Amino acid sequence: MADAVRTQGLFKRFGQQVAVGGVDLVVPRGSFAGLVGPNGAGKTTTLGMVTGLLRPDGGRIEIDGRDVWADPVSVKARIGVLPEGLRLFERLSGRELLTYCGQLRGIPIDEVGRRADELLKVMDLAEAQDKLVVDYSTGMRKKIGLAAALLHNPGVLFLDEPFEGVDPVSANTLTEVLRRYVASGSTVVFSSHVMDLVERLCDWVSVMNRGFVVAQGPLDDVRQGRTLNEAFLDLVGVRGNGEEGLSWLGSPA
Amino acid sequence: MAGLAGMTWLFVRLKLSLVRGGLRGDAGRQAGFAFSMVAALLAGLAGFALVSLIRFAPPDIALDLVAVAFAIFAVGWVVVPLTAFGLDETLDPARLALFPLTTRQLATGMLAASATGPWPIASLVALSGGVVALAHGPGGVLLGVPAVVLVFAFCLTASRLVTTGLSGLLRTRRGRDLLAVAAIFVVLLAQVPNLLVNRGLPGDPTRMLASVGEVLRWTPPGLAAHAIADGGLIGVAELIVVAMSVVVLGWLWIAALRHALVRPDASSQGGGSVRRSGRISIGRFLPGGMLGAVVAKELKYAAREPRGRVNWIMALFITVIITLSLRGGDGAAGPGSVIGPACLAAVMIGLQAGNSFGIDGRSLWMNAVAFSTPRDLRTDLAGRHLAMAVIGVPLLVVVSLFAGLVTGHAALALAAAPVAWGVLGVAMGVGAITSVTAPYTYPDRLNAFTGAAPGQGGQAFAASFATMVVTGVLILPIVLPVVFGLTWWAVLAVPYGVAASWAGRRIAAGVGFARLPELLAAVSRPT
Repeated sequence: MADAVRTQGLFKRFGQQVAVGGVDLVVPRGSFAGLVGPNGAGKTTTLGMVTGLLRPDGGRIEIDGRDVWADPVSVKARIGVLPEGLRLFERLSGRELLTYCGQLRGIPIDEVGRRADELLKVMDLAEAQDKLVVDYSTGMRKKIGLAAALLHNPGVLFLDEPFEGVDPVSANTLTEVLRRYVASGSTVVFSSHVMDLVERLCDWVSVMNRGFVVAQGPLDDVRQGRTLNEAFLDLVGVRGNGEEGLSWLGSPA
Repeated sequence: MAGLAGMTWLFVRLKLSLVRGGLRGDAGRQAGFAFSMVAALLAGLAGFALVSLIRFAPPDIALDLVAVAFAIFAVGWVVVPLTAFGLDETLDPARLALFPLTTRQLATGMLAASATGPWPIASLVALSGGVVALAHGPGGVLLGVPAVVLVFAFCLTASRLVTTGLSGLLRTRRGRDLLAVAAIFVVLLAQVPNLLVNRGLPGDPTRMLASVGEVLRWTPPGLAAHAIADGGLIGVAELIVVAMSVVVLGWLWIAALRHALVRPDASSQGGGSVRRSGRISIGRFLPGGMLGAVVAKELKYAAREPRGRVNWIMALFITVIITLSLRGGDGAAGPGSVIGPACLAAVMIGLQAGNSFGIDGRSLWMNAVAFSTPRDLRTDLAGRHLAMAVIGVPLLVVVSLFAGLVTGHAALALAAAPVAWGVLGVAMGVGAITSVTAPYTYPDRLNAFTGAAPGQGGQAFAASFATMVVTGVLILPIVLPVVFGLTWWAVLAVPYGVAASWAGRRIAAGVGFARLPELLAAVSRPT
């Protein structure tokens, strides 16, 4: 059986700067996968290329064994996306946004309404469903974005920093929904800075640094008895230990 | 008060380094900086010369003219920073809230900072033309210098008071939406005097000036002008009144500042919501599926997005102005004087389709992840065109009727409306192609002076220019015969327009789908 996501030599440069220098990302089907790395490691660029939103300069991407750039028809129906930055159609209400996305995907309007009702309820957005998205808080935006990404029941879900700026209550809702989704056999790939969260949720981890995947595999193989945070700091190399300088900082004895 | 002086100097230096910041960066920005410097210099000198020239008018008229000039400066100082709010970071007191500054330090510092820079200096130079215009004898000059400084201070404090008072509003989404539309009205209203002059003034200009002068007589700008002309003890008394008004404004401003610093930003609290039931839903009349979804979304955007509203208002307003100006001509009203404005309105409306995806901006990814064939993109464009037609077609009927009634050829509206529909179709077809070949980002914040993200101004101009020129050529076969009296030819305009928009969508979908990622990047630039 083909992996949910498999890339070979994925490459992207912006002007002089190489953002992604040849990434071989693998995510087995049915895993809850975390993509971790420091700022500027190339996580967002990689996710953009994998989801067909950013054209790669080189390399191959397969989702469920189908080439993303050669066969967009079957790939786009299979994936759900929540990119970073969360720009949604701001002047629609939450409910209108879901209806729009559903219709765009060709789901019959009655079915869209039914799914939207359930998603809004599960995401705890039922009360705010008629507010404009532009007036939503960060947590609400992430939740409505996730609802829009789940609406057409994709096989693979890509989330870029889904928990950034989200309050603990919303974060709990998000994780519960994602856990249920993975338990049914679907795949989630999400990027994050928060090691504790990745450690708690994921069974598969890919570590990126400076445009490359530096470690990848089941969670326990990657951390090798350490905490994920320690393993991560070892892998990416600690830059400065905070000992030099700053002699004036702190309360006088 | 060494601390106060030091802090004030710090603010001035901060403003100076912001001004100098224009010198760094790429050639385009440097050219813009040089241009703005030269423009400020020229505007200052020209303003000084113009105001000085008033000296050659009869004394009472000169007095009224200078009072009007002073008042225009004051209004300008209040309005311009509002439309450009956020361009100058020193203007927003909230950015300084965390620094340990007393309100007095903040007030004098910000006042000094706003007096610094090429444009404030230019207006001070122009204002001092008032001394040349009005002063007779040494008393006038002696009073003139403080009078000009006081008017300048009045401009500054009034401007600060209004921006600070509104800064809370400006930070909320609804406030910005409101102001975006209001700002365009200010720009458009500036055209009204122009129009009146074109049409011939309804009354005697000197009498109008006198009545305006009468109104302004007891306002601070009028008092200052009068003080210069008087040059005696009454002038001194008047200047004291002006100074007091500056102090009162300053005091009000400090109060507003104090309030603004501690008031929380409540932009998303209890924001508006959409009524879902009650009214008849537009969705009921729309085709289902993707096409209906796009039409519904576009119609909602036209109503809710300030930029959408502004574009429609602009299109209508420009048409009305041109129709009225045409009427001022010497009665040679042929079919062209009805069909011309109607077609112009159609082109103005159609120009909005020249960058269809710009208004979606960074949200366009939601479409991009769903579109898997060129056919999807074609449906999307068709939905956008249909939505534009839903608003535009009846609007063009109204414009045609209006132009027909104004010129006294109401029957010609029957020909003008179908021709205008055809023109709209052609403009949309051409616009579909420029939308995918030369897409650009609309700035988030509506700004009366630029329509594109930094660095894309040229592209934006090229796109609208190309849309206009190509549309202008393509509509000749339907417009010319009708203008030259072959009225029945108008019947062919609608099928022609429909065919043109169909062809445009067909080409655009093929081109656009192949470069969807590039399209996405072009409309998602940071602004």
